[in-house]
Amino acid sequence: MKKASFFPKATLPKVILCLIFIAFVFFPFAQMVLKITSEDITSVFSSPSFLPALFTSLKAAAITTVISVLLGFLLAFSLNRTNIPFKGVFTVLLVLPMLIPSISHSTGLIVLFGTNGILSQLLGMNGTIYGLSGIIVGSVIYSYPVAFLMFSDALKYEDGSPYEAAQVLGIPAGRRFFAITLPYLTKPLISATFSVFTLVITDYGIPLKIGGKINTLATLMYQEVIGQFHFGQGSVIGLILLTPALVAFVINLVMKRQSKMGFVTSPVNIKKNLGRDAVSFTFCMCVLLCILTLIGAFALVAFTVKYPSDMTPTLKNVMRMLNTGGRKALTNSIVISVIVATIGSIVAFITAYFTSRMHSAISSVLHLFSITSLAIPGIVLGLSYSMAFSGSFIYGTLAILILANLMHFFASPYQMMYNSLSGMNQNLENVGDTLGISRFRIVRDVILPQSSATLIEMFSYFFVNSMMTISAVSFLANARTKPVSLIIEQFNAQGNYEIAAVIAIIILVVNITMKTIVHFTTGTIRNRAKIASAKR
Amino acid sequence: MSTMQTKLLEVRNLTHRFDQKLALDNVSFDVYDGEFLAILGPSGCGKTTILRTLIGLLDVDEGKVSIDGRDITYAPPSSRNMGIVFQNYALFENMTVLKNVQYALKMKKETRADSEEKAMAMLKAMGLTEHAKKKPSMLSGGQQQRVAIARTLVLRPRIILFDEPMSALDVETRLALRAELKRIQKEFGTTMIYITHDQEEAFAMADRIMVMDEAKLIQIDTPMNIIEHPANDYVQRFVLDNLQIKVDSLTKYIKA
Repeated sequence: MKKASFFPKATLPKVILCLIFIAFVFFPFAQMVLKITSEDITSVFSSPSFLPALFTSLKAAAITTVISVLLGFLLAFSLNRTNIPFKGVFTVLLVLPMLIPSISHSTGLIVLFGTNGILSQLLGMNGTIYGLSGIIVGSVIYSYPVAFLMFSDALKYEDGSPYEAAQVLGIPAGRRFFAITLPYLTKPLISATFSVFTLVITDYGIPLKIGGKINTLATLMYQEVIGQFHFGQGSVIGLILLTPALVAFVINLVMKRQSKMGFVTSPVNIKKNLGRDAVSFTFCMCVLLCILTLIGAFALVAFTVKYPSDMTPTLKNVMRMLNTGGRKALTNSIVISVIVATIGSIVAFITAYFTSRMHSAISSVLHLFSITSLAIPGIVLGLSYSMAFSGSFIYGTLAILILANLMHFFASPYQMMYNSLSGMNQNLENVGDTLGISRFRIVRDVILPQSSATLIEMFSYFFVNSMMTISAVSFLANARTKPVSLIIEQFNAQGNYEIAAVIAIIILVVNITMKTIVHFTTGTIRNRAKIASAKR
Repeated sequence: MSTMQTKLLEVRNLTHRFDQKLALDNVSFDVYDGEFLAILGPSGCGKTTILRTLIGLLDVDEGKVSIDGRDITYAPPSSRNMGIVFQNYALFENMTVLKNVQYALKMKKETRADSEEKAMAMLKAMGLTEHAKKKPSMLSGGQQQRVAIARTLVLRPRIILFDEPMSALDVETRLALRAELKRIQKEFGTTMIYITHDQEEAFAMADRIMVMDEAKLIQIDTPMNIIEHPANDYVQRFVLDNLQIKVDSLTKYIKA
């Protein structure tokens, strides 16, 4: 009898997936880099706006990172280590800024604090929001939820037994925090710091309008490309913006490799402490109030005749928005988001299945490729696409926007599924083998049903992010294919804040609807599992 | 023991390498029809590798495995007439207990009614009838293990392999399941190969014990013979010294 291996390694599909990543991530990126000429480099570095923009970017990103990380940590600590009420409500509302485009935060701040702004008149600070302070405030609001979620995740899954041991040994609470909590949070702290810094420095949406006359590297790149078609110079700035993301990616990779899977033997016990709870609750309320004020400002302006002169309530802005290109743009956004979410979830599931449950040498390559998008900021990916694919048949169609979003947002949903599948019993397929049930049937009848909650969360991640993104698509859309997030800028520029606000509200409502549906469906799935195990 | 001498499984010069490291070094033994064979050894000695090569979940690098004289060295796992119960059971969590047992029968193109009848009969034999409609996560560890056994037993394999199936269970459940396994072995006449690192478990349950160390088979014999004639120093230390305290009570158990 011939000696053959019965273990399919799925080499061909894995190679095909790798080739897709090469074709749609590495190839465009290489195209962008290769097209840079020495003139591009000298003209960027010799331009009088470059150094000021670089310093503004570094300053804004650094200050924002410190504030956002601190804010994120304090909120996460309040919601995971105290006994304050309404934790669920706080958790949901505090991440609302993640559901609207960055550019809308700038709209909101201008409406509140800009010239003749709603609050600037009250506070007597007319116009001071433009410039560095506005960039920082906007960026903090946009980026602190990222830090908050990272710390929350870490605190939620911290093992309680070291605290119990410390308590038995009589180590005081303050010392316990510095001896146990802080060291435990080192890795999430590093991750959050880099993620926030990268997010802020590569975002052009906030500084574009609220920066006033001040440029950041991201707005400079945006203007070089959109305003003057200097693709080469845009690429040079893009490479500079890539650096922090790349550093973050490598550091995260190294930290992942070092980290051991921790076991939670007992959850951290939260002691009664009314004083602490009162402070935490007040703090959370204050932050929440700021967020709700900002969103309230959208809502208010979206439904008034003319901000700030005529504040009569009206619904006309919605019709105006739809009739001035909004209808087409909204349709584009929904179509793009649904297709990205559908294809993305399917491809991410298949890829994660191959890398987590069909090990072979090429699996680790595929795994690395799948998370590479974390290292490439959306604005850089978008520019590389426009340089690599301009002139090809997909350029100027929705397809290229869909592709860019797919690649840009692939890593996180992929990792969700990778973790979920890695955690599932590794012998399921083996059981199938011995019982004469094919691998395909096991995937269809056993593994897929058990991953349904994760699958829904992946769908939602792709959808929500495609709805609100501006970075990856800004260089790729034309008048016909523009998603709704991109037309905010033109209304902002015209000072047409009512319509810009209407768009922000629409995106927010669509994304909240999506999140709500996901919350209840996955909630039902998880509850069913929970009830089942509680009944034993 | 001496009355059962029909050879069922024949393993010759079985060798397996992980990369260049030998995980199984030229192992040969026979398994007799209806016997309970325990494979005993410390972790990393190659006992799980034996199990996985026997059932075809790992490729054989050298050697030959045959069942009833049929060469199955390279046969697919499902055509070997063997079943396996994994350490953590690997039940299909999204299916009911009944569906878990019925699933493989349906794959064999049995009608729904037929497969359900067979599965229910199997659940009855395993004392699981009242749990048929429950999801596995609603059952205790011991019950889950019985589902795993029922799931493989329903295909009537000649041999069932057990990969340290009791390591996750508490002492009481382990004792109950020991008796249960012996009962199933008698009732269905199924040959069982059972992996464990627990000396007491091996001596309490097995007709014969195979002692392994560092990818090699050291000794295979009845518990009594191993106690009386340990093959070498290793068997003396790993098996017998560990058992010393309990030997008296165990001898009683084995003879019974």
